[in-house]
Amino acid sequence: MATTTAAVTLTSDLMSTNMSVSASTTCMKAGTTADGLDQMEYGYVDIASGTAYDIIGNTPTASKASKLYIKNHSTDETYYVSVVLDAQAIGKLYGGDWMFIPADFHDANADIEITATGGTNKICYALFHEGTTLVAS
Amino acid sequence: MATTATISISSDIAPGFSGIGESMTLTQAGTLIDIDSTTGFQIRKLSATGAVDLVTMVNELVEPKDSVASKIYIRNIGYKGVIDKSVGVTIGVNAEPIGKLYGGDWLVMPLTCIDADDITANPATDDTVVLEYVMFYEEA
Repeated sequence: MATTTAAVTLTSDLMSTNMSVSASTTCMKAGTTADGLDQMEYGYVDIASGTAYDIIGNTPTASKASKLYIKNHSTDETYYVSVVLDAQAIGKLYGGDWMFIPADFHDANADIEITATGGTNKICYALFHEGTTLVAS
Repeated sequence: MATTATISISSDIAPGFSGIGESMTLTQAGTLIDIDSTTGFQIRKLSATGAVDLVTMVNELVEPKDSVASKIYIRNIGYKGVIDKSVGVTIGVNAEPIGKLYGGDWLVMPLTCIDADDITANPATDDTVVLEYVMFYEEA
């Protein structure tokens, strides 16, 4: 079984007692305990300002347990990419920000779309999934 | 100190993939100033299917600023120490499904914090499951 593990540590001093949370998960296929995600796509792209792009070209099988990581590697903190799913704005990743979500891809419109602002944003992404429809040549 | 989030991903799916290890300091939009507000760390127990608001933006005691650099962390921590990988909760924004958190799964994602963009949770079954979550945002 392929094994993919994602861990996070959050710390904050905004409250009177400092918060520190650590979590780790093994990324399994949807609803299973015995079979891990076994396919992945990993990339690094420059996204010029102004145009919306689908970050994932080949949409994985819908409603599975895909996991998507995106980081904005831009070093200018004023640069950002807007993240949209099926016309619903999710939020903005400024230079240095990352996100990690379970990506449902529940229908043909549910691609993850990003639009850069400020200048050319440098985006790293990784998708871990259990199957995709490849585009025939 | 500030508010930081560090991610580490390891995988043996692709030969040669050396993993991902990244850290970010949560700052206010377009600046290097630390983010300044949070909901605090919370849990929510769910025992029935049907979408509920995990975060209702308009009900926050401190109004979040819209369309800036807010972030949320959510994790499915199971129930009473039992983490069931077969029990999933679909997390959504303004009723748009983002994806399903199975037992132990977590997410960190940016938010708009616009009033309509509530964060929803919709369990796939009636099995009891607990979500832990914390939102960081800028005060309007």
